[in-house]
Order: sequence, then C-alpha cells, then structure tokens
Amino acid sequence: MKKIRMRFRAKAKGDIVKVIGLIKHPNLTYIMAKKQHKEVNFLTYIKATHNGEVVYEASTSQFLSKDPVLKFAFKGGKKGDVVEVYVRDLKGNEGTKKVKIK
Amino acid sequence: MNRREFLGLGLGVLAASMIPARVLAEDFRKTKPSVWKAKKPDQAIKALFGTNKMDKSGVKLNAPDIAENGAVIPITVEKVPEGTKILALFQDANPESAVAVFTIHPRSIPDGYSIRIKLQKTGNVYAVAQTKDGKLFYDEKKVKVTIGGCGG
Repeated sequence: MKKIRMRFRAKAKGDIVKVIGLIKHPNLTYIMAKKQHKEVNFLTYIKATHNGEVVYEASTSQFLSKDPVLKFAFKGGKKGDVVEVYVRDLKGNEGTKKVKIK
Repeated sequence: MNRREFLGLGLGVLAASMIPARVLAEDFRKTKPSVWKAKKPDQAIKALFGTNKMDKSGVKLNAPDIAENGAVIPITVEKVPEGTKILALFQDANPESAVAVFTIHPRSIPDGYSIRIKLQKTGNVYAVAQTKDGKLFYDEKKVKVTIGGCGG
C-alpha cells in the first residue's frame, strides 16, 4: 500500500483558521485509466480534524483534478494548534498529515 | 422477563442511543453508493437528498466562464444558506454526475470552500446545499471547456 503525499498550510486570523493544501494524487477516471492501461484510482475521502473534532469532511469522486488543490476554513482554532488531515483513495491507500497553524 | 434480561435490554437501548453521536463523520461513498453511479445531476441529487425540488437562491457558486484546460477547473462555493448541513457539487459533462459531497460540521465555515475538478467537455456545474430543515438550495454555472480533461 502506498502512502498518499500532500502539502498543507494553515493560517489563523482571529479564531478563524484558513487551510489550503495540495494532495498528490493522479485521480485517474475510468476513461483515463483505460487509455493509459493503468488501474482506476482516485481520492474518495478527505477529512480534517482539530482537537479531535471534525472540521472538514468530503466524499469525492473521480472528477477531482490531478493533484487537487483545496481550500477550507473553520472557527475555534488558534496559532500553534495542530490540524490533522486524513485522505483515502479507492484502493485503500491512506495518508495523514499534521499541520501546525501559523 | 427476569432481572437479568431487563438489564441487558437497558444496555442495548443505551448502546443504540449512543450510535448516532458517534457517526458524526459520514463517508457518503459507503452510505449512499447510488449517488456516485447516477449519470445525471437530477438523479444524483435525488439519490443523495431524496428529492430534487430546490430553490435557486442562497448559494453562490464561482467557476471560470471559459476553461482552457478541462483537467484543472477551480470551483469555489462563495456563499451557502444559514444552517447548511450538506453541500454537494455536481456537473453534467462527465459520465457520472457527482463530484464531491461535503458534510458541514458545527465549526466548519463552508463559505469559501474551493476544490479543483475536471470536466470532459462544456457543461454546467451545480452546487446544492441542504439546510437543517431539509430544504435544498442551489446555484449553477456554465463552464466552457476548450480542451477536455478526461481523455488523458
């Protein structure tokens, strides 16, 4: 099983934390995979938690772009806290990343 | 019913009542598999929310008018109605319709959610928000694609 790699950045302004990140993933659709003779694989689930509480959650399909960039925000965070991002793809590969809020 | 059974029953009820609290995080690919197979936005919206009666208000979706490259199209949801619980993105250019379903948690700020998607050809992108009382609101945007993103 391969680990999914990603880059994330979180910035606090007041008690609102803005997160921006990139998940490294080819997101091959059924058509693309057939043409390239590769197996279908795409991100299916993205989740971010802060202090054990879910603050962002998405179930996704094959139509995200390659290496998708995503942005979201949540309230109740502060500088120095840690946001944990978890992603999973169709084949069960997983990835987690701890991001320190700046 | 003797005492032992009665206690067991109590525990069962207690356990059942605790389940909803734990299932705060929902993976819609597992709970609603039919959504992801639906070919048209209407069908996908019906599969996800149980209805496709919706108002075109409250939601503001931002996407480029013309995308030179269909493989990378940034989609931003700028505004959702107060009390939105579920936010979903659909399109009608690709073989299947659903793109992403977001669960809005108490501390999430859904205004400004942005994600990059791909479109095979010119089509409409839809953002649908469901509020606490079950009402649906949506916005749509036509994106013109000059080079498709699904052909590889």
